[in-house]
Amino acid sequence: MFKRLYAIVVKEIYHISRDWQTMMIIILMPVMMMFLYGYALTMDLKDVPVIVEDPELSKEAALVTKDIDASTLFSVIGTVSSAQEPAELLKKYHAKMIVRFPVSFAKDLRSGAGGANIQVLIDGSDANTGTILRNTIGNVITKSVLDMLNIIQPKAVTVHPVVLYNAQQKSALYFVPGLMAIILLMISAMLTSLTITREKELGTMEQLLVTPLHPAEIIIGKILPYMFIAAIVGVLIMIVGRYFFDVRIAGSIPLLAVTGSIYIFTSLAIGLLISTVAAKQQDAMMIVLPVTMLPTIILSGFIFPVSSMPAILQAITCIVPATYFLEIIRGIVLKGVGLSILLKPVLILLGIGLLLVIVAVKRFRVKL
Amino acid sequence: MKMMMLMIWKEFLHLKKDKLSIKLMIFPVILQALIMGYALTTEVKHTPVAVLDNSKSVSSRSLIESIRNNYLFDFRPQATSPSEIRKRIDAGELRLGLIIKDDFEKSLKSGSGTDVELVIDGQDANSSNVASGYMNAIISQWGMAYLKKQAQNQGKDIDIIIPVKVNTVILFNPMLKSSWYMVPALVVLLITMVTSLLSGLSIVKEKEKGTLEQLMVTPVKPIHLIFGKTVPYFIVGFIELAIFFAFVLVWFGIPFRGSFAVLMLFAAVYMISSLGVGILTSTIARTPQQVLFLIWFILIFFILLSGFFIPVENMPQWVRSVTAINPVKYFMFAVRELCLKGTALSVLFPQLVKLGIIGIVVFFASVRLFNRRAG
Repeated sequence: MFKRLYAIVVKEIYHISRDWQTMMIIILMPVMMMFLYGYALTMDLKDVPVIVEDPELSKEAALVTKDIDASTLFSVIGTVSSAQEPAELLKKYHAKMIVRFPVSFAKDLRSGAGGANIQVLIDGSDANTGTILRNTIGNVITKSVLDMLNIIQPKAVTVHPVVLYNAQQKSALYFVPGLMAIILLMISAMLTSLTITREKELGTMEQLLVTPLHPAEIIIGKILPYMFIAAIVGVLIMIVGRYFFDVRIAGSIPLLAVTGSIYIFTSLAIGLLISTVAAKQQDAMMIVLPVTMLPTIILSGFIFPVSSMPAILQAITCIVPATYFLEIIRGIVLKGVGLSILLKPVLILLGIGLLLVIVAVKRFRVKL
Repeated sequence: MKMMMLMIWKEFLHLKKDKLSIKLMIFPVILQALIMGYALTTEVKHTPVAVLDNSKSVSSRSLIESIRNNYLFDFRPQATSPSEIRKRIDAGELRLGLIIKDDFEKSLKSGSGTDVELVIDGQDANSSNVASGYMNAIISQWGMAYLKKQAQNQGKDIDIIIPVKVNTVILFNPMLKSSWYMVPALVVLLITMVTSLLSGLSIVKEKEKGTLEQLMVTPVKPIHLIFGKTVPYFIVGFIELAIFFAFVLVWFGIPFRGSFAVLMLFAAVYMISSLGVGILTSTIARTPQQVLFLIWFILIFFILLSGFFIPVENMPQWVRSVTAINPVKYFMFAVRELCLKGTALSVLFPQLVKLGIIGIVVFFASVRLFNRRAG
C-alpha cells in the first residue's frame, strides 16, 4: 500500500517540477505578495499634502503652519494669500486639505472675545483618509496655538491609550498573518483542483483508475505533496515575517503548526470538492477564483473589517474558512492566546474541513 | 478595411453564440459589484466596547451615557476588573476597553482634571487608530461640556481660555462614506477583468481549435485579426461600462459631478491598454487556462498597486515609480475625480496622456509579438 502511494507521490512531484504555472504559484506568488504587503501596501498615512491660506502673513500663522508641517501626518506644500475657490485648489494641486487662517488671525488670538476661527477644508472623497485627517487636525492646531501663547489647556479628562499586541501600530503586523491564510489557500485549493482536473482533461485519470491502484490511493498520493509544500511555504512565510518585518509569534508555535495543518486540510478539501465538479482545468480556475479566492480576500476580515459590513455579508463570512483561520492565526501570532480561547474557531474550521471531505469523497465515487 | 469589418463581424457572431461568455459578462459582474460594494468598506463602525466604572458616580455615568448614545460603538456589558477587559479583548469580544478610576469624580471637581485609560486592540492599526480617535473625541467633548458648565457656575466663559476654534468642513464626500470612494473604482476593476479576459480568451480559443492556423493561410493579416478580435470587445466593454456605472451610482446613491463625455473618453483610451493586456497574454499562452492564470496574475499586481484600497501616496518612493506604468491607477484616479469632485478635463489631461502612451505601447507590443509568433 505504501509503495503504491509512494509511486503516486513521486509522479506528482515530477508533474509539479515541470509545470511553470505551479512553480509560479508556489514560489513567485508568496514572495511577491509578502514583499508587496510588507513594504509597499501600508495603511499608515504620512505626509498628506496640505495647502495653507494665510491672507495677512502673520508670524503667528507661520508658527502654526510650521507645527502642522512638522507633524508626521501632514506636509504643507504651499501657502496662498487667498483661496477663492478652495475646491479647485484641492483638485489642481492634489492636496487633501486646506487650512484657512482668518484675515485678522494675530489680532483675534489676543482679542479675548471668542478667539480666532480657523476653517479647515478636507477632501473627504477617500473616506478613510478624510476621517483620520478630521480626527487629527483640530488637536494639532489647538495645541500649536496654546503652546505659542503659553496657555495650559484646561482639560477635564485625559485619555491614556494602552495599545495591545501591536504597540507601534504597523500594518505589516496585521497583513503578514493574513497573507498566510491567502497563500495557503491558493496553494492547497487551487493546485489540488488543477492537478486532479488535469488528469481528467488529459484522460490519464481513467488510465490510473484501471491500474491496481485504489482510488483513495490516487487521491491521497496526489494531494500529499501539496500538503507538504503548503506546510513548508507556511513556515517560510513565518520566517520571512520574523526576520524582515519583525512579526514575532507571541503564542505557542506547536499550536500554530497544528491549526495551520487543519486549515491546509480544509483548503485541500475545497480543492477536492471543486475537482469533482469541474471537468476541465479552465472550469476549475473559473470556480476557484470567485468561490474561494475572492471571499477569502474580501469577506474574511483580511483587510476590510467584518463588523462594518451589513448583516447579510456578515452571515456569509461565517462560512468562509479563512475567517476562522484569521482569528486563530492572529490570536496566536499577535495576541499570544492559547487553545482555551481559540477552541471555538478551531473546532468550526475542523468541522468545515471534515464536512467538505465527506461530500467530496461521496461525489468522487459517484462520478467514477 | 473590408477584411477587418469581416473579422469584426465574425467575432460578433462568435460572441452571440457563446452563451457562457455573455453570462460571464453580466451576472458575476453584477453580483460582485453588489457584494463588494457593501463589503469593501474602510469605515469603522460598531466597534465593540466595554467600560470598567470604578467610580460609579454621577459624572462617570454621564460620560458612559454619552459613549453609549454613539452609533459608532457597540456597547457590551460592563467589566468588573482590568484583567477581565484584557481577557475579553484576547477572546476577540471587545476592541476597546475604557477604565474609569475610582477617584474620577473627585479629581474632576477639584479642578486638577482626571484621566481615564483606554485599552486598545491594536492588531489592525488603521481601524484601531480610527476607533480610538472617535473615543478620544467623544471623551474630550464631554470634558469640554463639563468644564463649560463648571465655569458657568462660577460665572466665567470657557471660550476665552482657548482662543482658537477649528471648524472642519468635509468637501466632496461630506458623510465620509466609504462606498462613494470604493464603488466607482470597483466598476473600473470589473471592466478591466471582463475586457482583458474576453479578448485574451478569444484568440487562444482559435489556437486551441486549430482555426488560427486556418485563418493565417487566408489573406487575412495578423493586424486584421487583432482588430477583429478587439473591436467587438471594445464596443461591448464600452456599453457595459456605461450601464454598470449608471447602475451602481443609482443603487448606492453616489453623485456624478463631472462630465460623462470625459469619462467615456477616458474609458476609450483605457480600454486600449486593458484589451492590449488580453492580446499580449493570449500571444504568450497556449491554452485558455494559461490565459486565465496569467491575466489573474497580472491583475493582482495592477489592482494592489492602483490605489484601490491602499493610497499610492502611502507607498515608498520606488514603489510609486513602479506604479507609473500601471494603467489601472490612472483610470481609477480619473473615475474617482470625475465622480466625486467633478474635476475638469484640463486638470486630468496629464493622466489621459499617460494612459494613452501606456495603451499604445502595450497594444503595439502585443501586435508585434503576435506578428512574430504567427509569422
